Amino acid sequence: MSGTVAGHATPLIDGVEKVTGRARYTADLGFSALWGEILRSPHAHAEIVRVDTSRARSLAGVRAVLTGDDCDVPYGILPIAHNEYPLARKRVRYWGEPVAAVAADDEKTARAALELIEVEYRPLPACFSADQALAESATRLHDDKPRNIEREVENAFGDVPAGFAAADLVREERFRYAEVTHAQMEPDAALAEYDAARGQLTLQSVTQVPYYVHLTLAQCLGMSPSHIRVIKPFVGGGFGHRTECLNFEIIAALLARAACGTVSIELSREQTFVMHHGRPETDIRLRIGMKKSGEITAVDAECVQRGGAYAGYGIVTILYAGALLHALYRLPAANYRGWRVYSNTPPCGPMRGHGSVDMRHAFESLLDAMGEELGLDAFAVRRANLIAPPYRALNDLQVNSCGLAQCLDWVEQASGWKARKGKLPRGRGLGMACSHYVSGAAKPVHWTGEPHATVNLRLDFDGSVTLLTGAADIGQGSSTLLAMVAAEVLGIALGRIRVVATDSALTPKDNGSYSSRVSFMVGNAALAAAQELKTQLEAAAGSGACFDDAVHALLAKSGPITVRGTYTVPPALQGGKFRGAGVGPSPGFSYAAQVVEVALDEETGEVKVEQVWVAQDCGFAINPLAVEGQVQGAVWMGMGQALGEATHYLAPHGLPQRANLLDYGFPTIVESPPIEVGIVESRDPTGPFGAKEASEGALAGFPPALTSAIADAVGIRVHELPVSADRLFEALRARRRAARLKTAARG
Amino acid sequence: MRLPEFALLRPQMLAEAVRLAAEPGAQLLAGGTDLIANLRHGLGAPRRLVSLEGLTALQALERGAGGVRIGAGVTLARIAQAPELAGACVAAREAAASVAGPAHRAAATLGGNLCQDTRCVYYNQSEAWRRSNGYCLKLSGDTCHVAPQGNICHAAYCGDLAPALIALDAEAEIAGAAGAARSVPLADLYRDDGASPVALARGEIVAAVRVPAPAPATRSGYAKARARGAIDFPLAGVAMALALEAGRIVRLRVALTGTNSRPVLLQGTDELCGRAPDGALADALARLVRKQAGPMRTTVVAADYRRQVAAALAGRLLARLAGGPP
Repeated sequence: MSGTVAGHATPLIDGVEKVTGRARYTADLGFSALWGEILRSPHAHAEIVRVDTSRARSLAGVRAVLTGDDCDVPYGILPIAHNEYPLARKRVRYWGEPVAAVAADDEKTARAALELIEVEYRPLPACFSADQALAESATRLHDDKPRNIEREVENAFGDVPAGFAAADLVREERFRYAEVTHAQMEPDAALAEYDAARGQLTLQSVTQVPYYVHLTLAQCLGMSPSHIRVIKPFVGGGFGHRTECLNFEIIAALLARAACGTVSIELSREQTFVMHHGRPETDIRLRIGMKKSGEITAVDAECVQRGGAYAGYGIVTILYAGALLHALYRLPAANYRGWRVYSNTPPCGPMRGHGSVDMRHAFESLLDAMGEELGLDAFAVRRANLIAPPYRALNDLQVNSCGLAQCLDWVEQASGWKARKGKLPRGRGLGMACSHYVSGAAKPVHWTGEPHATVNLRLDFDGSVTLLTGAADIGQGSSTLLAMVAAEVLGIALGRIRVVATDSALTPKDNGSYSSRVSFMVGNAALAAAQELKTQLEAAAGSGACFDDAVHALLAKSGPITVRGTYTVPPALQGGKFRGAGVGPSPGFSYAAQVVEVALDEETGEVKVEQVWVAQDCGFAINPLAVEGQVQGAVWMGMGQALGEATHYLAPHGLPQRANLLDYGFPTIVESPPIEVGIVESRDPTGPFGAKEASEGALAGFPPALTSAIADAVGIRVHELPVSADRLFEALRARRRAARLKTAARG
Repeated sequence: MRLPEFALLRPQMLAEAVRLAAEPGAQLLAGGTDLIANLRHGLGAPRRLVSLEGLTALQALERGAGGVRIGAGVTLARIAQAPELAGACVAAREAAASVAGPAHRAAATLGGNLCQDTRCVYYNQSEAWRRSNGYCLKLSGDTCHVAPQGNICHAAYCGDLAPALIALDAEAEIAGAAGAARSVPLADLYRDDGASPVALARGEIVAAVRVPAPAPATRSGYAKARARGAIDFPLAGVAMALALEAGRIVRLRVALTGTNSRPVLLQGTDELCGRAPDGALADALARLVRKQAGPMRTTVVAADYRRQVAAALAGRLLARLAGGPP
């Protein structure tokens, strides 16, 4: 369908506020608040022997001083892995971990108070790599985790040995990926207000999931959720950084309660880098069996992730890396073993393309190399393994729509692949890869039995419709999308709808903006709510009446009303029963293919991305303008990881070497190539108007398409990201040396 | 990260600025693009900032009989476009255009760029970061984390303008106390000490740079390697001025930045004169660069890469200048 609203390119409804500077972000809200500051660990790993806050407490202007003693409730995003405290107790496990906090009348006083807090540490040996952490002799970060293994995953589907035996070609490679982080534009901030008379707490924060923050505050502060209100103002990006409740949010709330006032906390860019929760440093060993036709016969994959100091989403990340091996291609047999390892670095977490990106680079790279060895075109290899929906993957991921074949066709044509591949001058190359992603997790982290999403529509005498949602618009355009869905169903102009979002006092609970769930799940809830309202309007006024007349007719009977729409993932799409089966299933999978063209400078190792052609199957583009932007953003983020982004921690203190926007190295506009987007619409049978996700699926394809293009340009396959100029320079130099040695040996 | 508290002084005359700059705790502020970012990191806490903004005398860029005189207050954006620096002196324009991003260049000045602080991954960090690391030789500490055995700071000089102007034989005009003025070859404005790279006495101010009229048939250029195509400081920068006669090099001046604690005027280039600018000469030049560039582990990018890429840029620049129109 392409209706009167849905399917039309629509500027975001909150865009004007942003470009005119009227939008107010969390750090804009706390002008009269007390200033909160956090004292952080100067060690990567140490026992806290003693904390003395007496001098800080007696400083004039200090309203509250807190330490780990003030909150003994551990938290964590997964109900089975609560092992972090908002302020460290007994031990610190990474540099920059909060140890104490102060609220004072102003910033200067708060900083002076931090200097007066005495902390005595007994340093412990620290682990900065998974290998160090896994050593038998390594100091345990958590007493209950031998060898620092947070979670070991092992699953096997199909007959893998038989698959390899049936292959014409079996290849195995190792890959290594640097840790990357979100580097969202807005640094972290929270504003907490405690109303002592009523015993009520209001927190405004940069969160992607106000609901999880709400639950965690209740738990850590020992308060009833009924006395807490969480509001998400405008947010400048998240990309997964803000999916979990973060320590500074709890600390702001604890300080506000202790000070009986309002406390603002703003993190610096460095502190925001240390907050992290991004993609872990990862080592992968991958083996694939392939027929001469390009058909995959078996897969054997191992993945080790350096997860950082606390659990966070870690178990989910290591499970995703295995689960999303599936459902892109037909896999007849696959083994997966994964290890999530604790280390003395900031905790990792979910980051755009959660769990799938590094494994996808390894998989596509090996597929590419094997295809080349068999004399097969890269597109032919992919086409030899396409799935045909409805398809149930070995690990019970249910695919009901898949437009990957059309994506392949589109990018092949748009890039001129057939005419140009292999025919470009030296130093230029074309590469391609595919990727996919979930449209929301079929099993939410906090399983309550409630619907996955709820949207309320409120109708009153003025004839406007207010859409109430807990879904967090963090720049991706979800509020616009939900308004478009409702407007389409009701047959009204977009301007008649107001969206009120993410205020727990007003809006229905929502599981939040992560794993690309909002378009599909909350979109379906908005669709259901609008259909319900439409049914009531038609019942009151008949189907021919104009909207205003229908409103009058309905309200005359009922008075102002609020209707509700919900969405629940059907049981058939909720996945299998094996251990870890909860991670991976989704009601809809997006698919993407892309071609990357590079120009390489062999003297300096510099890689320039000349152009990207990307096609994404998003089911149906409710807002094609937003889809295009989101796909470009995903490609761009993949480009950052592929070309230059990395974190690095220095022994022995665990200092983050690149925790600033100069050294972290995400691309500037100069590096940003033209990204041509093709939208493929496979019409998912259960998505809203057939829609699926559009924000993450294209990310994972960029890095392997880039390294494939580099291989095309200079014949070197890079198995390590990022492909920075110095790294590529070294690879080119090593090859020249090898060639010289060979010539010398021959001579 | 907030700025420390300071008094902002706005002298209108150079003599007044010199007097204010000589007072204890004073630091000069021009465009602020280097200084302000450093102050936010707690790198220094001057009690007074002496703004040079009001000194219109420093803002002249003019061609005279002896060459071009560029006031220290001229912005990099203006230098990047200056018609006076077209042709033989274009290296200065190319260097200015390669600095940071457009917004920086609109504010940043020549004087500020020449006198910018050296940089190091152990230095350009927050107060908490440096404190955890026991500080460093450059500020508040006694160890250089780049080379802990030694007792010298290895922070790298990263200005783009200095090498270009050194290759063009520029001189710095320095104003001092009581109307004293001196002039030094620009290369002598620097010393090989990352902790204190600019050889100015307290109260001295770089007032202008004079670029002499180039020898006939001179060509110049600047090439810069960096992690990204904008914003970043040079991993290595190479400036070159050469003159050709009948297909042979008669004059060759090469200067490097980003690789040492001071801009390096490459030694040994006179010996290359008289030769044709061919591959063999490029190799010889690259050897000189590799030998005299001394990058240390002051960046997140490997030091050896900076050495190698400096050599590659020099060879490439030679080919460009020798092959291109005069």
